[in-house]
Amino acid sequence: MFGFKEWSVWKKVLFYLVVLAILVVELFPIYMVVSTSLKPKIKIWTSISPFESFKPTLTNYQNILFERSFLDYLKNSGIIAIVTTIISLGLGSLAAYGFARFKFRGSGTLSLGVLVSRMIPPITLSLPIFLLVSRMGLLDTYGALILAHTSFSLPYVIWLLIPFFKGVPGAFEEAAMLDGAGRLRVFISIFLPLVAPGLVVAAIFSFIMSWNDFLYALVLTSSTIKTAPVAVSGFMGQFGPDWGMMTAAGTIILLPVFLLALLLQKYIIQGLTFGGEK
Amino acid sequence: MDTLSKKIIEWSNGISQHGKYHYFRKKITPFAFVGPALLLLGIVLLYPLLYSLKISLHQWNMLEQSEPIWIGLGNYLRILGFEEFWSALGLQLSFVVIAVIFELIIGFAVAILFNREFWGSQVARALLLLPIFVLPVVSGMTFRFIFNPQYGAANFFLEKLGLGAIEWLSHPKTAFMAIIIQDIWRMWPFMFIILYAGLSGLPKETFEAAYLDGASKWNTLVHITIPLLKPTILIAIILRTVDALKAFPEIFVMTGGGPGTSTTLLSVHIYKYAFNFWDMGYASAASYILVFIALIFTTFLVKNMYRE
Repeated sequence: MFGFKEWSVWKKVLFYLVVLAILVVELFPIYMVVSTSLKPKIKIWTSISPFESFKPTLTNYQNILFERSFLDYLKNSGIIAIVTTIISLGLGSLAAYGFARFKFRGSGTLSLGVLVSRMIPPITLSLPIFLLVSRMGLLDTYGALILAHTSFSLPYVIWLLIPFFKGVPGAFEEAAMLDGAGRLRVFISIFLPLVAPGLVVAAIFSFIMSWNDFLYALVLTSSTIKTAPVAVSGFMGQFGPDWGMMTAAGTIILLPVFLLALLLQKYIIQGLTFGGEK
Repeated sequence: MDTLSKKIIEWSNGISQHGKYHYFRKKITPFAFVGPALLLLGIVLLYPLLYSLKISLHQWNMLEQSEPIWIGLGNYLRILGFEEFWSALGLQLSFVVIAVIFELIIGFAVAILFNREFWGSQVARALLLLPIFVLPVVSGMTFRFIFNPQYGAANFFLEKLGLGAIEWLSHPKTAFMAIIIQDIWRMWPFMFIILYAGLSGLPKETFEAAYLDGASKWNTLVHITIPLLKPTILIAIILRTVDALKAFPEIFVMTGGGPGTSTTLLSVHIYKYAFNFWDMGYASAASYILVFIALIFTTFLVKNMYRE
């Protein structure tokens, strides 16, 4: 809006103070996680002021990474998120192209079905998936969790990409087809490069969603392929919460997500509303 | 494209559409593209959903029975008179309504505040969005820490303000407040960014005209900004609502549904009955009610967001 430049100095100062206050309050919990993870154990139990100075230490990180095999859990989370993303992007981009560029019987209903499926609460789906997976003896396997994750990430990718494919002018396609290129070649050599930004957003969000998942991992895994978020909640139990280790683990899990989110600034709204807002 | 090349395309399409082979190919191509994805979704989504519908018509306590027994609508009838279910549903709905209202108000206010060019606005926006990406399980853990009665930050600030310490997570009312505060903290920036984008997309001329006509800021807000922004506000509310219906990990680690059942939202209730009591028939039926509620909101969403 207009007006900011004409504001008096005092009004501007007040404005910046309000903005600063909002940022401080909003970022405080994140500060708590990161600062606690750097505190020695005794400090966490005794020091009351969150702002009291302390000597940062990496003991908590050493503990979880090397003594509590958090590294393995991170590896599990990474593998599952990456494979889920590859599958969702591969099948999802094909399907999005299909929905965006063809009108066929049932195409409207089917694409709507894909959207609606995004809204199903995971608790509803995790229940039958658990029953089916355990009956097949596939509990605690990568495959089961990856398939479970595609149930939310594939519909997401399809809906995010449809507007990107629709945005490509029809002339591109027609020209290429006239040259005798087949549909699949048109898709790979013309469409994929043109929708590359969409593919990047889809990949990042799909990775984040899978990385962040807690419920499916909780229900479908127990020991071998336990993921990092489930491991964090595990630190809560046993001997009462060990805040140092938990916040260290929390900081490590948050790091890749924050980096990806900051990379994504330009497309964040499209990503969050999965393509609904343009 | 010039008319000549259009003619050529029409003509070539005409040729390729002759003959049964090409006709067949044209019909089959779309399915070659959407088929693989739909097949996978059929396996991981549709089949489990139908399976769960079937289970919901059975009595199946996995601790006592190896095989489910058909009882028709028995589980649904049980829900009708089951007070614990209705309390969980009530908590779920209050959670969603209260959280979404606060998130909307804060998000809208901050969007209006940010709707001007100022130094550092991009960085401030980027930082405000970070909480959206905090894993729910980490968020729940953090707030459990903040609300700890002995060494948590919440009581530290309360005492600084001269107020007494509160055992936040040990009392039903404050525990419920705490899980809502957690959700508001994490998700108001979601409302903010959508409304901010909506605001910056509004035509500047309208506001200049209102300003020149001497309209007060309040009048401009009520009579111009909000009506123009209504579609965006509606979409933001529905998206948030559907998402809040999925809340689970944060509550699971923050309170585990307690004290008592005071923070046992429907999702936690379903989890408890499925994976603690192993009553799969009842849990499936209850989870179908949750889907039904999500579907109602989704219908609104589809009507407002994706109509073409």
